[in-house]
Amino acid sequence: MEFTIRHDGREWILENEEAVLSSPTMDGLDQKVREYIHEKGLLRAGEKLEVKMYFQNSTIPQWIRQYSQHYFNRILVVEG
Amino acid sequence: MAEVEEKKEQASGTGTLTGAALEAEDVLAGAEPWAPIETKLVVWSFVIAIIALVIGLFLVPTSVLH
Amino acid sequence: MTDLANRKWYTGMLTQEDWWAVWLGVGFFFLSLFNIVGIDLVGWMTYPTKWVLNVPEGGKGAIGHAFYALGKKYSVTAKGFYKGLGWWSVIWTYVGFTIATCLGAFFMKWNMKRFFVGWTIIYFLTIATWFVGHHAFIAANKINMHKYGLNFALNLGGGGSFILALIVGLIIGNFFKPFAQFLSEAAKPEWYIKTAIVTLGVKLGYLPIKLAGMSQKLGKQAAGITFDLFVAGAAATIVAYMIFWPGVYIISRKIFKLPRATAAVLGSGISICGVSAAVATGGAVKAKPVVSIMVSALVVVWAVIELIILPGVFTHIWPGTKDPLVAGAAMGMSVKTDGADAAAGELLDEFMRNKVEVESNGAIKWPEGLITSSAVMTKVWIDMFIGIWAFVLALIWCYKIECKPGEKVPASEVWHRFPKFVIGYFFCWFFLLAIYFGPGQGGAPEAMPFLKTVKAGAVPVEKGMRKLFFMLTFISLGIITDFKKLREAQFGKMVWVYFVALFFFIIPVAMVIAYLFHHGMMPPNIAEFVVK
Repeated sequence: MEFTIRHDGREWILENEEAVLSSPTMDGLDQKVREYIHEKGLLRAGEKLEVKMYFQNSTIPQWIRQYSQHYFNRILVVEG
Repeated sequence: MAEVEEKKEQASGTGTLTGAALEAEDVLAGAEPWAPIETKLVVWSFVIAIIALVIGLFLVPTSVLH
Repeated sequence: MTDLANRKWYTGMLTQEDWWAVWLGVGFFFLSLFNIVGIDLVGWMTYPTKWVLNVPEGGKGAIGHAFYALGKKYSVTAKGFYKGLGWWSVIWTYVGFTIATCLGAFFMKWNMKRFFVGWTIIYFLTIATWFVGHHAFIAANKINMHKYGLNFALNLGGGGSFILALIVGLIIGNFFKPFAQFLSEAAKPEWYIKTAIVTLGVKLGYLPIKLAGMSQKLGKQAAGITFDLFVAGAAATIVAYMIFWPGVYIISRKIFKLPRATAAVLGSGISICGVSAAVATGGAVKAKPVVSIMVSALVVVWAVIELIILPGVFTHIWPGTKDPLVAGAAMGMSVKTDGADAAAGELLDEFMRNKVEVESNGAIKWPEGLITSSAVMTKVWIDMFIGIWAFVLALIWCYKIECKPGEKVPASEVWHRFPKFVIGYFFCWFFLLAIYFGPGQGGAPEAMPFLKTVKAGAVPVEKGMRKLFFMLTFISLGIITDFKKLREAQFGKMVWVYFVALFFFIIPVAMVIAYLFHHGMMPPNIAEFVVK
């Protein structure tokens, strides 16, 4: 599963075509991802799912982007 | 066409987040207490520096040792 | 919202400045190589010379020759044509680089109209400043001022133009803010400097070829010294970084009581590689992006302050002309941001060469660019190293400090943070070295006609294009530097952390380490081969 991740100043926001999840902390965000996956029934017991989060660089002001083109990508492994 | 223009506008804008829009206090206050892992991190960095320095001084032909 | 996420390894090849610096630099480098088969496609690049309003009899400095196409001097096949260009070379250069940069801006999805207008204004401002900065009163020194009919000159060499460009930029950036805002689409110091650094790769590779033209031994010496810089720079960088980072981390955590993530970002930002490090580390420790943004804003302003102060201090106080490459390397380790560092290195290069020439009464002349190279070399290593260090920090943060169940750090992070322009820099350098040692036979006399054709292409790129992009960097740096940022209350604490860390820790340590690895290295003396 893939998301883009960004920060709006107060909250981390995950976004893909199907869902938008947000939380002020990274832990809270991970929790929401788990809940979302379980609610949707995307994962059976014993299975593992990699949730890839790609940082949305447009969060960073353009004048800074010329110095560095990458903030972070992360992977969250959710277990069923 | 309009959509393309709009996309360009966003890509060239200042970004969705600016320093002014935020509470700086949030990231400046609330220091956590110093943890042992930080001591480890700092000490190991210095150790690596010293090792790299010694090896470097020996290996690099232009160093003061040569 | 436009998707600018780095998903695949090749993401950004057409949409990031970093890659576009490679395409511009390497693109023009390849164009220059057509000289080998007898086609000169780059001789139009413009270059200034010193001028005066009233040329003394038998002297130099006619205003009509203040700009010339480099092909006039170096072209093998089209000397006559390029000689005729004169001031028109300014327009040719404008057209050539407007096409190239607009192509980049188009693919990077910038606002084309604003970029084009901004670029045009910045280009002609640059040319105007370059022109003024080459008035013999500013650029001449004691040795050559008489040729221009002067009895006094400021002795600044090409450095005068750089200083002027920075001043013009700063005036716009601080007193004409709406105008600066308007120009910001094209005021891209990092893009310009990265392009300039790629062409500096051409310079490094060309240096042995150039000196081989004077004597084969000098050529070999030059090849050796560039390699020494490469090795010494690597060692010095790793040592310095591993001392800087924990040092600043302790200062910000213990003395200024900042939270961990903020201290980590500041540690990287202040300690060595500025904005790119602040962003990389911020990402690595998953700090809120605002931390990186604030640190970046500070870094940019402080870097310009360093750029103003350090070249003069290193030239006239310590280490001076006794250890010019120590000064260069120290510069690379203490000035944040590639733009300000390379710019400071270039200033240092101009000041030092001028000083040694005057001190020795013309008996010592150093080839230009080596001191700049020493400043850029440490920086390039740092830029590569930060990606790796950010990865290590990400691992430590992820698994040790703020453990989050199920989180993994993808190894591809190292690649995404790798400074791609470095590829162009090394590519050009090693490509020319291969030519020098291969078909150029290490500068043997029988290979000289061939090497001359290489030279005809290399010079416009490593001299004309490189200096132009340096000038563009100086002006753009000024335009985007708003000193008022330091006064904004929310930065209060950070400004002081920065000040203390920079002047009492970073710069002294950088000087010591640069000394340990570079002491005694000297640029070769080319005085006897250069026409006075």
